[in-house]
Amino acid sequence: MFDSNPNSAISKTTSYKVVLPFYIYAGISFLVASLFLFAHSEVFINHYYQPKILAITHIMALGWATMLILGASHQLVPVFIEGRLYSDKLAYLSFLFLAVGVPFLVYGFYTFDMNIPAKLGGIFVVFAVLTFLINLAVSIIKSNRDNIHAMFVITATFWLFYTVLLGLILVYNFNTDLLPDHSLHFLSLHAHSGILGWFLLLIVGVASRLIPMFLISKYTNDRLLWWIYSLINVALILYQCIFIFFDNGLSLFIHVIMILIAISLFVFYCIRAFQNRMRNKLDEQMKISLISVAMMLFLILLFIIIISMICFSEVKPSLVLTYGFLIFFGWLSSLMLGMTFKTLPFIVWNKVYHHRAAFGNTPSPKKLFEHTIFKIMCIIYLIGFSIFAIGIILASPYLLKIGAFLIIITSILYNINVFKIILHKASST
Amino acid sequence: MNIITNDLIKCKDALRFLERVFDPEIGLNVVDLGLIYEISFNEEENKATCSMTLTTQFCPIGESIVENVRIALQSAYSNSLIEVKLCFQPPWNYDRISESGRIFLNR
Repeated sequence: MFDSNPNSAISKTTSYKVVLPFYIYAGISFLVASLFLFAHSEVFINHYYQPKILAITHIMALGWATMLILGASHQLVPVFIEGRLYSDKLAYLSFLFLAVGVPFLVYGFYTFDMNIPAKLGGIFVVFAVLTFLINLAVSIIKSNRDNIHAMFVITATFWLFYTVLLGLILVYNFNTDLLPDHSLHFLSLHAHSGILGWFLLLIVGVASRLIPMFLISKYTNDRLLWWIYSLINVALILYQCIFIFFDNGLSLFIHVIMILIAISLFVFYCIRAFQNRMRNKLDEQMKISLISVAMMLFLILLFIIIISMICFSEVKPSLVLTYGFLIFFGWLSSLMLGMTFKTLPFIVWNKVYHHRAAFGNTPSPKKLFEHTIFKIMCIIYLIGFSIFAIGIILASPYLLKIGAFLIIITSILYNINVFKIILHKASST
Repeated sequence: MNIITNDLIKCKDALRFLERVFDPEIGLNVVDLGLIYEISFNEEENKATCSMTLTTQFCPIGESIVENVRIALQSAYSNSLIEVKLCFQPPWNYDRISESGRIFLNR
C-alpha cells in the first residue's frame, strides 16, 4: 500500500558539527562589523571608496551574511535536493578557508595593504567558495533530483565564485596591471555580481521554499520561479556585457527593469504564499524576515535613482553609501536575524534531543532562546538601522554614532541568544 | 483522518499515545498533521507496525520525530515488537491535516 524506503534519508541529514561553526563565526563577525561601524562612523560622511568602508562591507558580506548562508545551506540543501550532502569534510574545509580568509582580507582593506594580507585572504575566500561549489554540485548530481530551488542555489554559488574570483583579480590589479582600468572602475561589476547573483538569487531560491514551508502554505508556482530565475540571470549577464562593451549609462536601465520585474514577481509570490497560508499566527522571526522582502522594493527604487543620476547628473556618494548600507545592514541583516532563530534552534534541538524521548517533557525548539531578548533586539535593530541610514543622508556624525551604537547593542543581543541556543543542555528530567 | 488499520480498537489506543508526539516546528501532533498512514497489528508475531511519512523528505528533525513515534508506540504496547516504516509514497500534502489540526493552525 505504502512504498516504504528502508534506506531512507532519515538519519542522513547534515551533522550539527558541520553547521554550528558557521553560525558562531557569523555572529562574531556581525559584532565585529558593528564595532567597526561605531569606531569609524564618520567615514560614512565622505566617499564610499575608502579602506574602512571596504573592510566593514567585506566583514558583512563574507564574515556575516555569506558565512551564515553557507552554514544554513549545508543543512537546508539536503531538504531542497532530497539527497544527502556529499561531503562533511568539504564543508569543514569550506568553513576553514573562509574563516581564515576573511580576517586577512579585512586586514588588507583596513590598512589598505593590497599585498600579502589582501591577496592571501582573497585566495582563501576563493578556495572556500570553490569547495562549497564542488560539494553542492556533487550533492545535486548524486541526488538525481533537479528542482527549481536547487537550481537557484547552484547558480547563485556560481555567481559567488565569479564574484570572489573577480574580487581577487581586483586586489591583484592594484599592484599589477591585470585589467585595462583601475580596480575602482570594476567595483560595481564585482559588487552587483555578488549582491544580485549571489545574495538575491540565493535568497529568492531559498525563501521561495522556506516561506511557504514555515507559513504552511499550499501555494507553489514553479513557472513563476523559473521566470524570476531567468530574469535575474539574463539581467546579470546583460549588465556584464553592457558594462564591458558599451559602458552606456542609459542601457544600464535594461537590466534594472528586469531585476525590478523579478523582485516584483518574487514579492507577489510571497504575498500569494502568505494569503494561502494555513498557519494564521506569524512568529517574530518570520515577521523580521518578511520586512527584508519588503525592503527589496525600496532598494530597487534607490538603485533607479542612482542609475538616473549616473545618466543625467553626478551621483551623490551619500546615496551610494545609503544603498550599500541598506543592502548589508538592512536587507541582508534583517533576513539573517530572523532566519538564524528559525533554523539554529532546530539544529541544536535535534542535537540535544534526538536520542532522547522528546515527546512529553522536552522544550520546543522555540524555547531554546530568549524571546524577550529577540524582540528587544529587533526593535533596537530597526531604530538603529534607520537612524544610521538617515545619518548618512543628512551627513550627521551624531546620528551615525547613535545608529552605530544601537547596532552594536543589536549584535550583542543577537550573540547572547545565539550562544544561549548553542550552549543549551538537556534538563535532567 | 485516513489511517489504515486492521484493528480499530488497538489503533485508537495507539493514536492516543501518538498524539503526544509533536512536530516541533509546527507545534501539531503527528496524528493531526496526517503523518501516520497505517498502523497494523500482527497477533501471531506480537508486533505493531506503523507506516508514516514526514512533511518533507530529508526533514532535519525527521529522525527525532520517527524515534518518538517508535517510543510512543512502545509505551502503548510495551510487550510488543514495534516497527516504524518511513515512506514517501504517496507524499504528504496539506490535505492530510485533520480538521482539529486546521483549527489549531488557524488560531
